Amino acid sequence: MATLSQPIPARDEPRRPNIASADIQLPAVRDFEQVDREIVGTLHPTVAWFIGLGIAVMFLLIGIAAWMYQIYSGLGVAGYNPPVMWGVYIITFVFWVGIGHAGTLISAILYLFRAGFRTTIYRCAEAMTVFAVMTAGLFPILHLGRPWKFFWLIPYPNWRYIWPQFKSPLVWDVFAILTYLTISSTFLYIGLIPDIAVLRDRENISPIRKRIFSVLSLGWRNTDNEWRHFARAYLFLAAFSTPLVLSVHSVVSFDFAMALTPGWHTTIFPPYFVAGAIFSGIGMVFTIIIPLRKFFGLRHYVTINHLDAAAKLCLFTSLVVGCAYMTEWFVAWFSGNEFEQSFFANRIWGQWWWASAILYTCNMVLPLSLFSQRLRRNPAWLFIISFTVNIGMWFERFVIVVPSLSHEFEPWQWTSYRPTWVDYAILCGSFGWFSMWFLLFIKQLPVIAISEVKEILPPRLRTHHAHGMTPSGEHFDFEPETPGEHD
Amino acid sequence: MSTDQEGSPATGTAPSGVKRREFLKVLGVGTAATTMLGCASEKVERLIPYLVSPDQTVPGVSTYYATTCRECSVACGLIAETRDGRTIKLEGNPDHPVNRGALCARGQAALQGLYNPDRYRGPMVRRNGQLQSTTWDDALQIFAQKLGETRTRGAAGAVFVNQHESGSFPGFLDTWLGGLGMPAHLSYDAGADHAAIAANRQSYGVAWPRFDFRAARLVVSIGADFLDSWGAMVPQQLDFADARADHARAPRLIYVGPRRSLTGLNADQWIDCRPGSEMSVVRMLGGQLTPQQASQATGVAAVILEGFAREFAATKPSMVLAGGGGADGLEVVLAANALNQAQGNVGVTIKPNEGYLGFDRMAAPAELRALAERMNSGGVSLLMVRGANPAFTLPKSAGFAAAMAKVPFKVSFSSYPDDTSEIADLILPDHHSLEQWGDAEPVRGTISLQQPTMDPVFDTRATSDVLIAVAKKDPAGAARYPMADYRSWLISHFPGGAAGLASSLPRGIASGSLGEPTTARPVPAVRAATPIEQSSGNMYLVVYSHPFIGDGRGANKPWLQEIPDPVTKICWQTVAEMNPATAEKMGLANGDLVTVQTSAGSLTLPVLRYPGTQRDTVAIATGRGHTHAGRYAKSGFNPLEILPVAEDHAGGVAFVSTKASVSKAGGYSQIVTTEGSARQHGRGIGQAIAIADLRAGRPGEDTGASHVAEVAQGAGTEAPAGEHAPGEEMPGDASHQFLPGLRSPVANDAQGEQGDPNSKEKGMYDPNHWSGMAKRRWAMTVDLARCTGCAACVSACYAENNIPTVGADWQTGKVLPDRTGFGANILRSREMAWIRIERYYEGGEDGGADFDTRFVPMMCQHCGNAPCEPVCPVYATYHSPDGLNVQVYNRCVGTRYCSNNCPYKVRYFNWFGYGEPARPQYAFPEPLNWQLNPDVTVRGKGVMEKCSFCVQRIREAENRATAEKRMLKPDEFTTACAAGCPSRAIVFGDAADENWTVTQLAKDARAYHVFEELNTYTAVVYLKKVNHPTPAAAGPA
Repeated sequence: MATLSQPIPARDEPRRPNIASADIQLPAVRDFEQVDREIVGTLHPTVAWFIGLGIAVMFLLIGIAAWMYQIYSGLGVAGYNPPVMWGVYIITFVFWVGIGHAGTLISAILYLFRAGFRTTIYRCAEAMTVFAVMTAGLFPILHLGRPWKFFWLIPYPNWRYIWPQFKSPLVWDVFAILTYLTISSTFLYIGLIPDIAVLRDRENISPIRKRIFSVLSLGWRNTDNEWRHFARAYLFLAAFSTPLVLSVHSVVSFDFAMALTPGWHTTIFPPYFVAGAIFSGIGMVFTIIIPLRKFFGLRHYVTINHLDAAAKLCLFTSLVVGCAYMTEWFVAWFSGNEFEQSFFANRIWGQWWWASAILYTCNMVLPLSLFSQRLRRNPAWLFIISFTVNIGMWFERFVIVVPSLSHEFEPWQWTSYRPTWVDYAILCGSFGWFSMWFLLFIKQLPVIAISEVKEILPPRLRTHHAHGMTPSGEHFDFEPETPGEHD
Repeated sequence: MSTDQEGSPATGTAPSGVKRREFLKVLGVGTAATTMLGCASEKVERLIPYLVSPDQTVPGVSTYYATTCRECSVACGLIAETRDGRTIKLEGNPDHPVNRGALCARGQAALQGLYNPDRYRGPMVRRNGQLQSTTWDDALQIFAQKLGETRTRGAAGAVFVNQHESGSFPGFLDTWLGGLGMPAHLSYDAGADHAAIAANRQSYGVAWPRFDFRAARLVVSIGADFLDSWGAMVPQQLDFADARADHARAPRLIYVGPRRSLTGLNADQWIDCRPGSEMSVVRMLGGQLTPQQASQATGVAAVILEGFAREFAATKPSMVLAGGGGADGLEVVLAANALNQAQGNVGVTIKPNEGYLGFDRMAAPAELRALAERMNSGGVSLLMVRGANPAFTLPKSAGFAAAMAKVPFKVSFSSYPDDTSEIADLILPDHHSLEQWGDAEPVRGTISLQQPTMDPVFDTRATSDVLIAVAKKDPAGAARYPMADYRSWLISHFPGGAAGLASSLPRGIASGSLGEPTTARPVPAVRAATPIEQSSGNMYLVVYSHPFIGDGRGANKPWLQEIPDPVTKICWQTVAEMNPATAEKMGLANGDLVTVQTSAGSLTLPVLRYPGTQRDTVAIATGRGHTHAGRYAKSGFNPLEILPVAEDHAGGVAFVSTKASVSKAGGYSQIVTTEGSARQHGRGIGQAIAIADLRAGRPGEDTGASHVAEVAQGAGTEAPAGEHAPGEEMPGDASHQFLPGLRSPVANDAQGEQGDPNSKEKGMYDPNHWSGMAKRRWAMTVDLARCTGCAACVSACYAENNIPTVGADWQTGKVLPDRTGFGANILRSREMAWIRIERYYEGGEDGGADFDTRFVPMMCQHCGNAPCEPVCPVYATYHSPDGLNVQVYNRCVGTRYCSNNCPYKVRYFNWFGYGEPARPQYAFPEPLNWQLNPDVTVRGKGVMEKCSFCVQRIREAENRATAEKRMLKPDEFTTACAAGCPSRAIVFGDAADENWTVTQLAKDARAYHVFEELNTYTAVVYLKKVNHPTPAAAGPA
């Protein structure tokens, strides 16, 4: 029943570059059959999964109800407090777009950089990307005064000859988000094709499921030619996605940077947003993968070494955003722009000090703990940090959106902002929406890339595993050659 | 009838197949017929309630009627714009000698009285304790019967209280009452300053002289709020603004009083004397007290008073205006008038001969209080009240409402439910003043005519007609009143008769007089107050009249509730104003509840820290806190509930007569205000220049208003005068590129043929386009030296542009957990006013009296390089060829990015469906929606809106000019805000044409743009306020 393995390419053929270095090998994974069995084994729905899905759907329904109520009544039921014309929805939009960035970074950029630790977490991160972008894409519509007219932002042919205003960053957003959604979902799907073939070839699979998987696997037969084309396509898409990681969030940052508003009107925003996005995305990856590896029993796939490596990336991006924060302060002081200075004073010492405090603590201070190797290799701590990172990054967007608008040029119009239950319900609904898709995903498709894991198994085990198998087909205990660890 | 039935013969004749063209024809006819029938099922006769014969009414074209405003006693002239039989807008009558085309906020809001949704629909009678609707025949029968009963029991037991007005009606009423043997009516105006009226009559021989501010070099106002509602507000404001606009000769204004009113905020200096100590200031000015003695009495530093006295003695001609209000109000005004006489001001700055007649024959509140006592003792058998609301406007301790309940039969002629009419037994609702005939005599020798501008909204009748009809019911009366109605009576008394009236109506004024010579009423017995110092309490209580709502008359008009008080910027709420330093000492933050306790009762209300309050004073505005005055009037508190009965010697209510114990009550209520920060933080929004700098041609900035770029360099807010030589331009300063033509530098780039600067196809953006649109640049100047901050422009804008009010408690959406009742939407800054008056303080951060106030009317600046335009993803806001920043409501999807990018924050979003009748947030409950301007869209839910420079007026004027085959004439039309402004501070026009006034004004040396360093190239040019600082020796400056 075990599928045929990926053949070893001939010497002159292009080689998929994710060669496992010593510290990211999977010593507890002995052979391909084990990979198939254990990963495919996670696809069986459990009671806990159904409960989780139920909760997610319930949150989603709460969000939908709140949105319907908001469409009926008008945006006034949300907590807008002019001139704070953007609030929780735009904050959450940027938050989810940011979450989406880690997926492509991990699956594409790290692939190109041959960072082997990505192998076991990239599928999860990439699925997270697609669902996060799907979530994010709802919010610009959701926050419109007349959401039923959202298609006016799309340049479609019409008899009035009215096109969108291409100078508006919001139109750029439409393109950026749609492009990103297209590319990242394509990339996810291409990577899934060999794995879907694995699922298709299982025994005892229902005919309907088999039919669906047959269609989705595009008739994958594991031939050398297919693998060659697959490797080419994957590499191409990785290269294609890489600039998107930088561009999409840069475009999102233009929503702010292109405006006059003090606190927004700054050239540092594109790199600052991209770093923040990756930071938050890695946080979300931890939030998802740490429980997953526990509940799915995949701790010998997503090893501590992998988490350690990802935590270093998290620490690095934290330092980058921290640097960006300090640059902002410096520029505000150095520019001599009174509006900018007043805004930053208000951000830190004024009415929004608590939001800034949350932001700086969560994004600058707490991640410094990851300098400690012991903490980096402690999944529980990483899980906590991942939460604070996500909270901190949500508040980073809060601090960008709300204090800027509430403390603009015109002192007479300085205000405050307090979200209402509708804002919170829709925020919860977005988590419900995201979780629903993700939970459905992990029970239908392998959350760890089967084919890529097979690639990093020790070469000794690739072709034959007679030494590891009893004549009756039972495996016997395996003593790893490379010091890694089970936890 | 359905389309199918209409169309069936046609389809029947050609069963083989209907041709497309035929089908469309049939469909068209059928649909048209359906539509017509649909219309016919409505009551067509209500759609256009014709007043003039139908052949003169063109649907969609306005008819204008000259009439008279009756919202206060002054009687300004109105031009009522009527469209399709409904009055939609009021403007001042430019020919009228009093208001000369201007109109205050209360006048604008007369329309919301006319269309008030709570108006009585018809006559009502109390049966079994409940007011029930009845017919006019029945109601008149009851009224006639009660009049008869009263006459048999003694006609002296009948009392008629009328809302004070001038003109012939009071005489008519007295004749009518006299015919029945009843005593003359009491003409009551709770908002008038009776002490000043009595004193003026004594000193000058007239109730209200004209104050010629232009002739004065120094104006001293001792609690005389001549810019608020003290006396003839609109003409006083016109005169004052004109005087101040002549910078070289402008009078300095010194305000003496415990609370800086709007007048006080417009003053150059504030002497914050203790309440009740005004007399000491007057006596010091008269030389009877030394500044040191006055300092002890008033609590003002002796050095300030010394300078004040010296300046007063040295400056001639001057003008001393004093207002009553204190227990010694009459004496203070008399003493102040004596000062005028001593200084030789009478006839020079104070002109009794040009006085206003609106205040003659007024009954003092003491007479109403005495009436309450009479009613209590059973001396009144029939009480008739028209317009006035004594149950609310007298101090509660006078017990008017309770006493009134003891009168056997009470008749109210009120158009609206109010605290008095709710106790009445019979309600004969009067027409609104815009629905009936009448006249006024605002100044001697001029009749101001009042004519119906539309058919009555409800089943009401003019009281004058009711009186005639009732008189006709007995033979003696019928002989006295042969005429059919009051209009005939008016014609018979009018100089020139019917022809004279007809020829005068178009202008609204006629020369002559209908009234009788004025006689001063005898001063009634008053209940004098105990000296304020002897009352108990830790603070002085100052009760003042709300600038819009006044004595409570405006409380059910949503515009007047929603437009923030020009001084405190409070809407929908009553607060206790305290000096910030005092509040700090007592540990009170804005919104903390305090209990204000006097001998008459106590009120618990939120604190507002207002630096214009004297340190020992708590100030509360009247007008709110009604029990029965309609849906909009339920908010706030009435300070008259805790004011003990005390009268000055003229019989006026002594509003400043007691101390009160103010203590922290615990609890908190958010302050419903539109104010964000009251300080400009050196951003130069409201700029000022000292008069000396202006004279010397120095560009020196007055305190705090210096250019932002300069401020940023140093921590201080003061830029040294003369840092830049005149004419020298700062880099990046857009003004020199901008002012000469006010042309948008980006219009072509932004909106030409797909933004291609080389394209020859620029459409209407081509200056040579036949429309000539691109040759124009609509622009506005706002002269801050004239602006007093009265907010008349705001109300005019509400009226013109269908701006919804959002502050009523049912408009918030009831499921919001933070619902706080009235003003909840305002707490979320969701007010929709397209023009707002920002009120910034300069100086006085320590709570001291020495601060300057800048009023900045802020509306869409119609930037030539507008930040809002490029960020709109759907072109809902774009740049019109004539320089307008246009908002297309139908195109707006509501991203609100435009507002985020607007530095001036003048864009307003429709958070709810304010224009949808089925929603709780509906802002125009029937029949308020009759007022809506048909030229302006009522905006839908979820779209952005903003000031359009009254684009409907621009297009109307252009169309008119095109129809008449001519070009627009300079200053041919103006915007609603500019038209109504009683200070003439706003001027609108085509800044690309040298012949428009606005072009000349924009070249003024004081001209500046707000935030011009942002290169927005705004179309609104502000002219700096001119400050007249206290002479160096006079005070600490």
